[in-house]
Amino acid sequence: MAVLKWLRTLGITLPIVLAAFSARGADTVKLGLIEPFSGPIAAVGRDTLEIFEFFAHEVNQRGGVLGGRHIEIVPLDNAMNAEKTTQQLRKVIDDDIRFVSQGVGSNHALNIIKFLTRHNRRNPDQAILYLNHSAVTTSFTNELCSFWHFRFDANVDMKVAALVTQIGRDPSARKLYMLNQNYAYGQAFQAAAQRLLAERAPDAELVGDELIVPFGKVLDFTPYIAKIKASGADTVLTGNWGPDLVRFVKAAAEANLNVAFYTIYAGIPSSVAGIGAKDGIATRLKQVTEMHENDPLYDQQPADLLDTYERWRQQTGKSVYSERMRWTIEYFAAALDKAGSDDPALVAAAMEGMAMEGPAGPMAMRAADHQIIFPMVISTMTEDAGRPFIYDGEDYGVAFATDGWIMSDAIELPTTCEMKRP
Amino acid sequence: MESIIFAMFNGVLYGMLLFLLASGLTLIFSMMGVLNFAHASFFMLGAYFAYQISEGLNFWAALFVAPVIVGLVGAGVERWGLRPVHRYGHVAELLFTFGVAYVIEELVQMIWGRVPVPYEIPELMSGALFTWQGFDYSIYRVFMLVVSVVIFVALFALLTYTRIGLIIRAAVSDPVHVATLGHDIPRIFMWTFGFGCALAGVAGVVGGNVLGTEPAMAIQLGPIVFVVIVIGGLGSLGGALVAALIIGVVTRLAIFYDYGLGSLFLSLGLEIDTAGLLRDFTRITTAQVAPVLPYLMLVLMLIFKPRGLFGTRDV
Repeated sequence: MAVLKWLRTLGITLPIVLAAFSARGADTVKLGLIEPFSGPIAAVGRDTLEIFEFFAHEVNQRGGVLGGRHIEIVPLDNAMNAEKTTQQLRKVIDDDIRFVSQGVGSNHALNIIKFLTRHNRRNPDQAILYLNHSAVTTSFTNELCSFWHFRFDANVDMKVAALVTQIGRDPSARKLYMLNQNYAYGQAFQAAAQRLLAERAPDAELVGDELIVPFGKVLDFTPYIAKIKASGADTVLTGNWGPDLVRFVKAAAEANLNVAFYTIYAGIPSSVAGIGAKDGIATRLKQVTEMHENDPLYDQQPADLLDTYERWRQQTGKSVYSERMRWTIEYFAAALDKAGSDDPALVAAAMEGMAMEGPAGPMAMRAADHQIIFPMVISTMTEDAGRPFIYDGEDYGVAFATDGWIMSDAIELPTTCEMKRP
Repeated sequence: MESIIFAMFNGVLYGMLLFLLASGLTLIFSMMGVLNFAHASFFMLGAYFAYQISEGLNFWAALFVAPVIVGLVGAGVERWGLRPVHRYGHVAELLFTFGVAYVIEELVQMIWGRVPVPYEIPELMSGALFTWQGFDYSIYRVFMLVVSVVIFVALFALLTYTRIGLIIRAAVSDPVHVATLGHDIPRIFMWTFGFGCALAGVAGVVGGNVLGTEPAMAIQLGPIVFVVIVIGGLGSLGGALVAALIIGVVTRLAIFYDYGLGSLFLSLGLEIDTAGLLRDFTRITTAQVAPVLPYLMLVLMLIFKPRGLFGTRDV
């Protein structure tokens, strides 16, 4: 009986829901978001979706784009499998979605860039535009650059440039030990640091430079900690993320290794949760980001933006972490309006060179390679200061405090891109 | 010389943790012939239970209670899951445990969320026990070693000298005869499976706070545990111990000495290729390949001695 009742309810509600969807579907601008929404690292994908939906909703509340149309985020699960990313792209074509975004995993981004470059050349009237919110492999805006790809995050070289610049300012950083993951990203980090250190941090000596097997294969970091100890290093520079970062930092803290950790991804929720307050503070864990909540400049942002952030915190129980994802939506909306059309080629043209006010000064989407340029901030994990780091309503008892800003001119690096425009 | 001792000590420590994990797996295999793919998931459950219990009570309560709960869960899985599947043969059992691993992973994510939980080393044992070459050795690491050794000795004594051990060993070789003698074979299987899972649970309790307690930990540890029991010989407890120690020590030495293949070739008087196709190959150092060495050993073992070091049956 219960089943019958349930079926009847479904029978009544389903047509209404479907009608509501098709009515909405007709005049929305769809943005397909291809991320892992299942599997062990689904947390990252779901967080991304939450941010995208929140800020798309903000744009829609303000009156939408192109004179009242709404932005609709269409989640497409790739389960962190690069082959599934390609499958989802076929679905994007079938469903006539003309804009996609992705950022978790550069191998997926590479698949998208290659797939779309070919697809758009063959089907110019059904072109699809790719907004990359976090995939950082530098070559995407160098030799692999494409007219159909825009990056809203700093690439590895830029992030390393920011870290190395700050190391140059840090008088306690004299002996540097580098440890990175042995795959495209970690090697790019290593190469960029080797190139930039001599020029930007001439007083720092590189006493160790190591690559490890990536993605959680190293269970016990103590032998590396012993080598770092033996080298006499006072600073560790690492691009590691996920368990490769968490175990590394925890092993260092456990052995009372007295070094400061310069990292890129120390502040993402899974790192903070995994490392914990005690070990993170003991290793003076640093991150490089586009903004953080306890920077003095944070409160100087426009009042309506601060209100929005406050609402985000209340609604989701999460700290504001990924400014770049909000930028992706804002740039998308602004470019749609500027183009006056939802034709991807026109939107892409409108986005080239587009400037916006960032938290610490102007930022711009460089037309030459479609790489966004903006100031970055290095911050260190401390005890609660101002706004504590929260995730899913839980207070982790830490916050980040600013070490220094690196302005755009120190981050902007030359590109080798030879852009082919349609 | 000192660094050799240091690397050996580190390796023994890590090897003993691996053994703790592998012992339960090899016990279950030797008893029931079931390769439990979900074994690392029970390890993960142990870590999460320990986190939850140490939040409410303390670490010591977790050390004793968490493995018991994991063991009961394991026994339940055997009683209501594996036993009905048993009659369809080993492939069905294998697939079943494979499915259990996925179910546990999803359940853990539903209950504790998708980001790591802050399961920390108890304050009491986070201090340094001794300092070696300027390297602080925490009390906790030595505690891990002690726990593993105690468990190995207890397990060995249990199987060799007690009546239960006698029945278990008899049930392994001749289940029909043991059943005719009036022993309840399905019940022995259930408790052996539960006990094996409880051992994985112990490893989770003592290892979870060092390795990090997160939903992906089972997937990351799963393969290496199988490497241990295959190298040691399927079903051999002593083999698992030796294999775990070898893996621990060899990987540590490889990281510490960090020889390049290039320098190895040079010392053999070979011409090395610094520009051509083999360039990347000669640049590889032992530290870079250290985590892959166990798998290389696995392949070599399967080629030259498929039964493993002390195994009595084929893989």
